[in-house]
Amino acid sequence: MKPRILLIEDDANIRKFLRASLMTQGYEFLEAGNGREGLALAAAQVPDIVLLDLGLPDMEGTAVIQHLRQWSGVPIIVLSARGQERQKVANLDAGADDYLTKPFGVGELLARIRVALRRGAVAETERPETLLNFGKLTVDLEKREVWRDQKPVHLTPIEYKLFTVLVRHRGKVVTHRQLLKEVWGPSHTDQNAYLRIFILNLRRKLEDDPARPMHIITEPGVGYRLREE
Amino acid sequence: MPEELRSEPVNPHPGEEQPTPKRVLVCIGPSSAGMHLVRQAAALAADLQAPWFALYVETPAHASLTAPDRERLTHALRLAMQLGGQAVKVPSTRVSQEILDFARSHGVTHLLVGPPRRRHRLMSRRSPVDRLIRAGGDWCLSLIPAPGEESFASTVQLPTGGPSYGNYARGVIAVGLCSGLAALFFPSGAQVNVVMLYLLTVVAVASLWGRGPAILASCLSVTAFAFFFVPHYYSFRLESMQYGITLGVMLLVSTLISNLTYHIRMQQRLERRQERQTAALYEMIRSLAVKLRLEDLLPVALAHISKIFGSQVAILIPNAAGKLEFQAGEAFPDVTGTESEVAEWVYRHGHPAGAGTEIASGVKGIYLPLWASDRIVGVLRLETGEPTLILNPEARLFLEALGNQLALAIAHDRLSTQAEQVQVEIEVERLRNALLSSVSHDLRTPLTVIAGSASSLLEAEASLDQETKRELTQNIYEEARRLDALVYNLLEMSRIQAGEVKLNQEWHVLEEVAGCALERLNPLLTDRQVTVNFPLDLPLVQMDALLMERVFINLLENAIKYSPSGTPIDIRGRVSEGFVQVEITDRGKGLAPGEEERVFEKFYQAAPGAGRGVGLGLSICRRIVEAHGGRIWASRRPGGGAEFRFILPLGDKLPLPVESFPEAGES
Repeated sequence: MKPRILLIEDDANIRKFLRASLMTQGYEFLEAGNGREGLALAAAQVPDIVLLDLGLPDMEGTAVIQHLRQWSGVPIIVLSARGQERQKVANLDAGADDYLTKPFGVGELLARIRVALRRGAVAETERPETLLNFGKLTVDLEKREVWRDQKPVHLTPIEYKLFTVLVRHRGKVVTHRQLLKEVWGPSHTDQNAYLRIFILNLRRKLEDDPARPMHIITEPGVGYRLREE
Repeated sequence: MPEELRSEPVNPHPGEEQPTPKRVLVCIGPSSAGMHLVRQAAALAADLQAPWFALYVETPAHASLTAPDRERLTHALRLAMQLGGQAVKVPSTRVSQEILDFARSHGVTHLLVGPPRRRHRLMSRRSPVDRLIRAGGDWCLSLIPAPGEESFASTVQLPTGGPSYGNYARGVIAVGLCSGLAALFFPSGAQVNVVMLYLLTVVAVASLWGRGPAILASCLSVTAFAFFFVPHYYSFRLESMQYGITLGVMLLVSTLISNLTYHIRMQQRLERRQERQTAALYEMIRSLAVKLRLEDLLPVALAHISKIFGSQVAILIPNAAGKLEFQAGEAFPDVTGTESEVAEWVYRHGHPAGAGTEIASGVKGIYLPLWASDRIVGVLRLETGEPTLILNPEARLFLEALGNQLALAIAHDRLSTQAEQVQVEIEVERLRNALLSSVSHDLRTPLTVIAGSASSLLEAEASLDQETKRELTQNIYEEARRLDALVYNLLEMSRIQAGEVKLNQEWHVLEEVAGCALERLNPLLTDRQVTVNFPLDLPLVQMDALLMERVFINLLENAIKYSPSGTPIDIRGRVSEGFVQVEITDRGKGLAPGEEERVFEKFYQAAPGAGRGVGLGLSICRRIVEAHGGRIWASRRPGGGAEFRFILPLGDKLPLPVESFPEAGES
């Protein structure tokens, strides 16, 4: 069955370009021009992914997310402009899964969609993979081991834990708050500075050039993302 | 010394073609014809389009003018100022000479005088007007008849010394003493010496007690001399006619001396007062001159006026809405609002009012309008126990001179504020134009590429080969990206410019921020060797990471733009003296000498048209770095290329060392 994608976006030309791109990629495409219509469509057609534009004429993006989240766990990818980092974080906190900054290429969008779809699939099967590859990196979640270029890398327990959180959300952005909460617990969610130091150390162990990381990507103002391919 | 009450000469259209520029002089006295004369002169000057002067020669007699006379004089001089003339007061004893001197030195072409004053004295001297007519000159002299002849009967009291009987008594005693002394020292009758002694006494009396007592002393001296020292002694009978001549000459000489001494003293007093006033005025002007801003200047000026007139002074200036507001000086209670009502009235009517005047004398303050050329710029308020001291014409004229300086300062301040605004507007307009022309060019280029490529794809799709189609599509994509970056820079600049950007400072790892910038620029860096070198122990720095990323992006883009492809770009960081320093260097052609500062100017482009961009990137960098309390500069790199460095303050340490950050949770 074709995955069904719902786009909530008020600009007709963007809808047109996304419809063309996504339908050729084999997705079933639904579209809505405003938040109310979008919510109605989401309830009636039960899409596999929602692409949500911020700045709809009738509703705040955050409100749409909150409404959806009341009855649906469907992955939501937010489409937002640059410079709206606070809004991005707010949306991710409200329950969005990922975001994409406008203008974006179709390649980026498809990658995000794939990640989001897989997440939905994993949730259904409940049988996560344990041996994963990220370019030169390999991680065995069962044995708690990490290799870089087939050589074992020694990570401190906290570094390993940080890395596994990123691995679990691979391909998807993880906010600072989320990382801090999952690694250090709910009382340390505002210690971004320390998170940055641990990420720096992790990069020095895992990346060829820590200043130009290939795996652990910074999402400025939002968080980090473990690149998949 | 002439006391010029209006500093700027009114000189409308002197007219180059005219053989001689015309100048009008009107001479006024205390008579009621003064106002009439001034108006005539103003009308004539307007006809001739000539500058004009109203001259008053202040003679010793001025001290004894009646109050209405002084009032009239003050009015006439003020009217002259209001009508655009220069009011000039010259202290002198020789009226006609002074007028002639003034007229010659100022190149007067038209001289206006009133009709000669009727004299009451028996000794009918020639009037100044007669002298003027006789003296002649290069001017056209007009005798302006008074509007009503009656008013000329204004009495001018020549100084009588006033009814001070004590002084007369002292004069009498002095002559008595003198007689005694003369009898003691020259009993044999050394008449010449005795005469001298009497004359000395008269001089003393004149200079000490005034003219009246001196004239009395002269008469007494002659009588005493005739009685005691001229044979026949102790009798008024004279031995020979020669003594008669002696006595006559003595009387004449002593009377003359009395007069002269008196005049000299009056002149001195007049000059002293003038000197004091000039000194006070000068001191105020000097203290005004060193203050640039009105809010600094007013208190100083008011303190001066307050000192000179012994009163509480305040100044009221209209606000933007045109309503008078207390501006400086001593605040005054105004519960009922009547004070401000009176002030408002004065502002609107340009006529003094308040305590001691005919208008609204119920209020505590005296309100005087401040005239700057032809309009009122504010109202001066004085409060004193004795309003008459301030409202006497002498004081008022002086006060007006001070007020004029204030008014000029206020008017000047307004003009400079307006000029500043205009300057700012011009600057904004200039920037806007530069932005528009620059932006329209830089927006159009990518748009042209996009539109062109897309339209070829649309119209000639069938005839295009696969490779060309790909190329065109690639074109569209790249130009759209570039456009996006350009729009972002423009928006960012306008936000920074509008002061909208608030720093969202957090502890950041510089290496990470630089890494983000490099990630973003990846497509442009494919053929570049970029080395990044940050020490492992570089401390965290507080910054707004998004803005600082922008600094890296703009500096790197600049390096990419101005160095040939394939040449390396280096990023290096280090700590020095409380700052962290970052340098970004390239191996391009570097900066031209003197360009090091200019590259940070808005819209400056090293090679206009060469690269795409608006010339905003580096000026954005400077704004951002400076907002962080840092500094950014450019220099020529030894061995070729450009070198951009910026420093950021290290500030405090992290509140908690990393080691103590809990290794919480199970491993």
